[in-house]
Amino acid sequence: MRGTLAWVGLAARLVTGGVWIVAGGLKITEPDASIAAVRAYQLLPSSVAEVVGIALPAVELVVGLALVLGVFARGAAVVSAVLFAAFIVGIASVWARGIEIDCGCFGGGGAKAGAASAYPWEIARDVALLAASLLVAFLRRTRLSLHSLLFTSGPDDRATVTEGAVH
Amino acid sequence: MSSNSKAKARADKAAAERAAQAQRESRRRIFTIVGVLGVMVLIVGGSILVSVLNKEEVKAVGAGSSDYGVTIGDPDAPHSVIVYEDFLCPFCGQLESATRADFEKLAADGKVFVEYRPFDLLSQSFGDYPIRAASAFALVLEKSGPEVAKKFHDLLYENQPSEEAPDSVSDDDLVDLAVEAGATEADVREGIESVSHKDWVTAATAEADKAGIQGTPTVLLDGEVYQDGRTIQDLAKNLVAELE
Repeated sequence: MRGTLAWVGLAARLVTGGVWIVAGGLKITEPDASIAAVRAYQLLPSSVAEVVGIALPAVELVVGLALVLGVFARGAAVVSAVLFAAFIVGIASVWARGIEIDCGCFGGGGAKAGAASAYPWEIARDVALLAASLLVAFLRRTRLSLHSLLFTSGPDDRATVTEGAVH
Repeated sequence: MSSNSKAKARADKAAAERAAQAQRESRRRIFTIVGVLGVMVLIVGGSILVSVLNKEEVKAVGAGSSDYGVTIGDPDAPHSVIVYEDFLCPFCGQLESATRADFEKLAADGKVFVEYRPFDLLSQSFGDYPIRAASAFALVLEKSGPEVAKKFHDLLYENQPSEEAPDSVSDDDLVDLAVEAGATEADVREGIESVSHKDWVTAATAEADKAGIQGTPTVLLDGEVYQDGRTIQDLAKNLVAELE
């Protein structure tokens, strides 16, 4: 059971991490669109929207890399979960206010006619990714993580121990 | 030396080795954590740098000096406002209705010089209404002058179609609005029906693109992009307050 969960955790890491890398990567070179996308939600004051529009893609990329590689995966998963929760609130909020925008999730963004029809699916997608993030956050170990390579004692240490015992 | 104390020495040595080992482990751990965090900070910093370098600055020609706009007020007024807009864009319509009366009053009082620069942002997504409307605007500007063109501009926003049904405003409707604004039907009907000023729209759009305009409405106050406000209504209110 534990073993299976560790593999499921790996899958969750790869899927959410992959989504973040794509989402962040597409936006990093398009800062103006990214800022406009944040602004279109009409939730944040203009200067804050600008900071978020620039910083969010960078954070998305790093969270994605951390999840895919499996370094500080649990911390990254917590950040990932918080971000997805925020996006769900954001989309629900524009939906409730009758604002029709492209969510700007993977670049683009801004006003878009008929966008409301996509909101339920976008929220469902983010809920699924939120669940996957929470799973990674709760698991102590997942398969194939760089973390286990970095943080288990390397061969050098073991060699020293053996020498010490011989003396 | 008794075998007892020998055993004790051995045990002490082993304990010391274990302690040293534990210390090495924890030092290695700290180095690894710092290293990984360092790499993460570098990636975040690098990404932000890439974003900032890719940001386009808006550098538009001064109010009143574009060939593709209509102005109200005195060019020597203490403030200038430039509004880049698309006749189909709903936020432009909101900005229009939130600012028109104030802008007209402030312009009449000599407090602001306003230039409206319509161009085509949305035809790729929503069909040719933005081109038809902007072309009709250019035609009216040419045939009937800036005052009628401004009035026509206002009427276009008052009768703005939705992005879902941009063609609900037909060429006949455009002619009617132009006439209502004060144009002569004989001057504009043919031109509106043949989209006579398509090239003007293309050139206006190229100018907006060159100025780094990324979306509509883009408002410039004294040459700087003005976006102080969470919603269009906020922005309009703050902008008018700055001008008063």
